[in-house]
Amino acid sequence: MLEIVDLEVTFGRGLTRVKALSGVSLSVAEGESYGIVGESGSGKSTILRAICGLAPMGGGAIRLAGADVRTPRDPAFYRTVQMVFQDPYASLHPRHTVDRVLSEPLAIHGFDRREARIEQALSDVGLGAGFRFRYPHQLSGGQRQRVAIARALIVEPKVLLLDEPTSALDASIQAEVLNLLDRLRGERGLTYVLVSHDLAVVAHMCERLSVMQHGREVEELTRARLQARDASQTYTRNLMTASDGFTRAAAPS
Amino acid sequence: MTPLLAVDNLRIAFPSRTGPVEVVRGVSFTLGRERLGIVGESGSGKSQTGRALLGLTPVSGKATADRLEFDGIDLRRADAKLWRSLRGARLSMVMQDPKFSLNPVMTIGRQIEEAVRLHGGASEARDRSLAMLEAVQIRDPKRVMAAYPHELSGGMGQRAMIAMMLVTEPDLLIADEPTSALDVTVQVEVLRILDRLVSERGMGLIFISHDLRLVSTFCDRVLVMYAGQVVEEIAAADLGSATHPYTRGLLHCLPRIEGGVRPLPTLTRDAAWLVEKR
Repeated sequence: MLEIVDLEVTFGRGLTRVKALSGVSLSVAEGESYGIVGESGSGKSTILRAICGLAPMGGGAIRLAGADVRTPRDPAFYRTVQMVFQDPYASLHPRHTVDRVLSEPLAIHGFDRREARIEQALSDVGLGAGFRFRYPHQLSGGQRQRVAIARALIVEPKVLLLDEPTSALDASIQAEVLNLLDRLRGERGLTYVLVSHDLAVVAHMCERLSVMQHGREVEELTRARLQARDASQTYTRNLMTASDGFTRAAAPS
Repeated sequence: MTPLLAVDNLRIAFPSRTGPVEVVRGVSFTLGRERLGIVGESGSGKSQTGRALLGLTPVSGKATADRLEFDGIDLRRADAKLWRSLRGARLSMVMQDPKFSLNPVMTIGRQIEEAVRLHGGASEARDRSLAMLEAVQIRDPKRVMAAYPHELSGGMGQRAMIAMMLVTEPDLLIADEPTSALDVTVQVEVLRILDRLVSERGMGLIFISHDLRLVSTFCDRVLVMYAGQVVEEIAAADLGSATHPYTRGLLHCLPRIEGGVRPLPTLTRDAAWLVEKR
């Protein structure tokens, strides 16, 4: 469904040149959920942004359903691929109601039956019709993230790019949003690419994952290998140990 | 032995259009020279509790308590002068985000030295600052001393802030989400530094966090807060046998690397948890 070959992304020029991604390749099958894990600055979000055309591609290729994507991306691309951003406090326009947030993509892509679609989208993400004319400041973090998911799904995409969709949320709300994403994928056969710093979230959501460091892929694992803690690279093993919390025994003293 | 800190019936209220809203409702605990975790979700009052211990409740808020004693000193009646002699010197606080808590226009060195000078010890300020930076595992302390906050990574900035708070060798450190802004591998290093300081210097530590699993691996005892109240106090080792449904819910709603139930159990909030216990 989605294939990335030797993707390179460079920001700035001259002395301030930063190579954010140096030759990353991955391939995601239709209906699969693929995870990208890494620490800050590893380039994991840059991959998603490059897929959407939000980061400049310096080299390599991105293929969607076998065809190279065009730069700038055409409307058909965004009908197929949608993104949910990390911070629901920043990704919704503060002066647009939920109704307006959801109407805009429908208008852009020329959908019919807009009323019905908006109501359906809200109920799909577990928000009632009563939320339709609220502003973002009248919603909690979890409700905002649901609106962001509804906004992405309203154009009936096939691929959803999820950039740390729950890292700004409390643990109990995170569980609700992860369950929602899981259910929607089952119902609609969506393909997910999920970026997270949390190995446990990726283990729960994704069948395969890639571990990133300094703009390169460290290794690719399946869920089964992650759960069995069967990693071949030291960095991945360190990441697994650190995710378990603090261990006094390991302290060098 | 008298405890280092004793808090009884702490209440913090903020005015609102519909009358005062209590965000902390009758929190009581004592602390010795140990690691105490305060865990709760956003809005549970955990940070306000920590701030009140340092007299840092925002001016619009009102903090009251039946007892608020630090090492025998009644903090409720502390005036500005007493607070100045306590804060930094005997009680200090590490905030969540080094980006917002360090002075952006002062070098790290000057900020740490300032802390030493203000609390006596002007002559050896530089040496003590360097030694402290080394103690928090900064490899090149001379370079970091000369650096401005924006020149450091998040983990380095957080370590510099911990160094600044610890250079005066306080008796009690309040750490409000000190590692939430950091990557997991850096987080473990920072915790290791705090852990060593507690065991070597006999410091008391209050560790405020939203991450129940992390706190349970690090602290000796945990207070779980919900809607301004402590719903459960439990030894970290016994967390698996927690009785309050909120504590259990918080533990179980986290996904695990090993995999588990699908869908994840969610937390059903019971209105009875909001009722104030007396």
